[in-house]
Amino acid sequence: MKKSATIVQLKKEGRLILTEFESKKFLKRMGIPVVETRLANTQKEAVLLSRKIGFPVALKISSPEITHKTDSGGVRLSLNNMKEVKSAYHEITEGVLKQYPNASIQGVSVQKMAKPGTEVIVGTSKDPQFGPVIMFGLGGIFVEVLKDVSFRIIPLSRKDALEMIEEIKGYPLLQGYRGKESVDIPALTEIILKISRVMEEHPEIKELELNPIIAYKKGALAVDARIILEEKASL
Amino acid sequence: MPHRNPERSDLNAFFDPRSIAVIGSLKEGFFGGYVVIKSLLNAGFKGEIFPVNPSYKEIWGLKVYPSIKDVPQKIDLVLIITGARSVPGILRECIEKGVKAAIVVSDGFAERDEEGKRLQVEIVLIARQGNLRIIGPNTAGVANPSKGVIPNPYEMGYKKVKEGAIAICAQTGMINPQAFPYGDLGYGVSKICDFGNKADVDECDIMEYLENDPATKAIALYLESIKDGQRFLKVSKKVTSKKPVLILKSGRTEQGAHISASHTGSLAQDDRIFDAACRQSGVIRLNTFRELFELPKIFAYQPLPKGNRLGIITFTGAVGVLAIDEGAKYGLSVPLLSPGTRKKLDAIFPGLGKRIVDIGPPMAVVNDYMSIYSEILNTVTVDPCIDSILNVIWTGPSGEFMEEYLKIYRGLQGNRKPIASWVYGPRVHYVNEMTCQLEDMGFPVFPDIEMAIKALGKASQYAKTKGGNR
Repeated sequence: MKKSATIVQLKKEGRLILTEFESKKFLKRMGIPVVETRLANTQKEAVLLSRKIGFPVALKISSPEITHKTDSGGVRLSLNNMKEVKSAYHEITEGVLKQYPNASIQGVSVQKMAKPGTEVIVGTSKDPQFGPVIMFGLGGIFVEVLKDVSFRIIPLSRKDALEMIEEIKGYPLLQGYRGKESVDIPALTEIILKISRVMEEHPEIKELELNPIIAYKKGALAVDARIILEEKASL
Repeated sequence: MPHRNPERSDLNAFFDPRSIAVIGSLKEGFFGGYVVIKSLLNAGFKGEIFPVNPSYKEIWGLKVYPSIKDVPQKIDLVLIITGARSVPGILRECIEKGVKAAIVVSDGFAERDEEGKRLQVEIVLIARQGNLRIIGPNTAGVANPSKGVIPNPYEMGYKKVKEGAIAICAQTGMINPQAFPYGDLGYGVSKICDFGNKADVDECDIMEYLENDPATKAIALYLESIKDGQRFLKVSKKVTSKKPVLILKSGRTEQGAHISASHTGSLAQDDRIFDAACRQSGVIRLNTFRELFELPKIFAYQPLPKGNRLGIITFTGAVGVLAIDEGAKYGLSVPLLSPGTRKKLDAIFPGLGKRIVDIGPPMAVVNDYMSIYSEILNTVTVDPCIDSILNVIWTGPSGEFMEEYLKIYRGLQGNRKPIASWVYGPRVHYVNEMTCQLEDMGFPVFPDIEMAIKALGKASQYAKTKGGNR
């Protein structure tokens, strides 16, 4: 069983939830396409990283104690220049410190703003009878309100992965409609299969969520990610 | 708890025992050991029967033994119908005697209360240590009509269960002979098993046993829970690559799942996850109790279709259109018949060579109707554009054409494409008669058009994904 340095470190700290930054770092190493994300410890570093990554960027607070980043004012999107990055960094750190004076802050993550596309979700959980299961759905209201999702039990075959995409009611939206182009379904299939493999190789992961993944005509990119570990994971 | 030996899926002693001991009450009535022995004798069981009860000397002409230890011969299977508390002791005696299979009819285990739960754990422990397998507790038992093994603990009112190719197993006694008219059916069953609380033998053991049972061509299961999800996935994938497995699972709703958990002492489950497991393993999921008895017929008695193209022969256009609508749900399409077939049909009667072959109009005007009917049915059946056939049969007010219909169907025996039939008419008596006779010949008749179409649709889907999505 491969052991991840991130996960080992986490257990030492007695944490069960990986931050977005840690989750993405882990998933990237597992071959999942994630939006380029770096961690800045100072305002100056944030500016440097944004220039390196290329505008527009997003800044997000990175702290194990803050799971609802948006609600706590820890997120600023679509920053187009150095000035905007500077003030966003200041606002985020000040705001969070006021709300969570005791939170341990890893830094502020600087990420490339992903181009708009079709949002989908891939998540996993553990069923008491069947073990790890994987879920696929369209993002936003489709999953939240309409519960338009499909399930499979891990491990799954390529055919299972493709079928779980085709099974959702919103599938025509992925195929393209009213002149909109079809999204890269093979790329989504690949992500599902890779996540299935991650769950097989890492029984210490309890839940995993890529929400959203933005699917394009060519390729797909996970923009946000969350990993929760088993309480009694043996390392 | 000691683990189940994975190699021990051979349940032969339950279905083909040479000797059966019946332990418990022998009082005359509608339930108990008295009925078990009567059912076995009626069904023509050829092996030895050993009634065990300290208060009797003889029953049904058989010597009664005070205890299992007093039986001089080897015992393959025991049926236990006593109070739950005495079951552990009896099982220990059985193990000492070298018994390998026990059906525990007794209730009052995990489905009852905490004490019952404890007792259930205890009997499984005893069985595992003693290398004995248990069906139940809380079960109406098994049936294997081909060997006269019908140790039914409830009075069934008929003697013989018709032998056939469908295995029906359930987490309920609702499928056992006292609850279903197996004596009057046109089709037959290979094995029946109520696994009750499935403390030991469960759905996976049964599937593995039936996979290698040459008499079984289709497996129908009713489940309230799955004991081991990962094993279920593995086993069902393997079995469905050989034979179709059709499952009706209750507990779809939250309340249903909750009640089920308390009723058989099993764990509640997310229905969507079970649905995914069925899709992944090629299991055919059923929706109603009726389907459990109906849909397996197409698999057990007809060849699998080679594709999804449905041919329809009917008496009215309405039935044809209904069938098309229904077929779309399962991916069936009703194609244009081949030019050759159309020409032939139009020559038999002008305008007959349509997508839906409507035999109503010629019937009204042609005198020698049955001679053209035979030609129509045979022509459509061999059309290269058709993979399966829905045939609608009308039985007249005085059972007209019955003999002719049967003769025509006899000529279709050994057909390479599945035929699902629906029989209707003004007299229930003739409809039933026709249904029974056709099924006796191996042509499944369904209670309505929708069920007939669903059977063909599921057969077409199964033929495509046999053994799951690999």
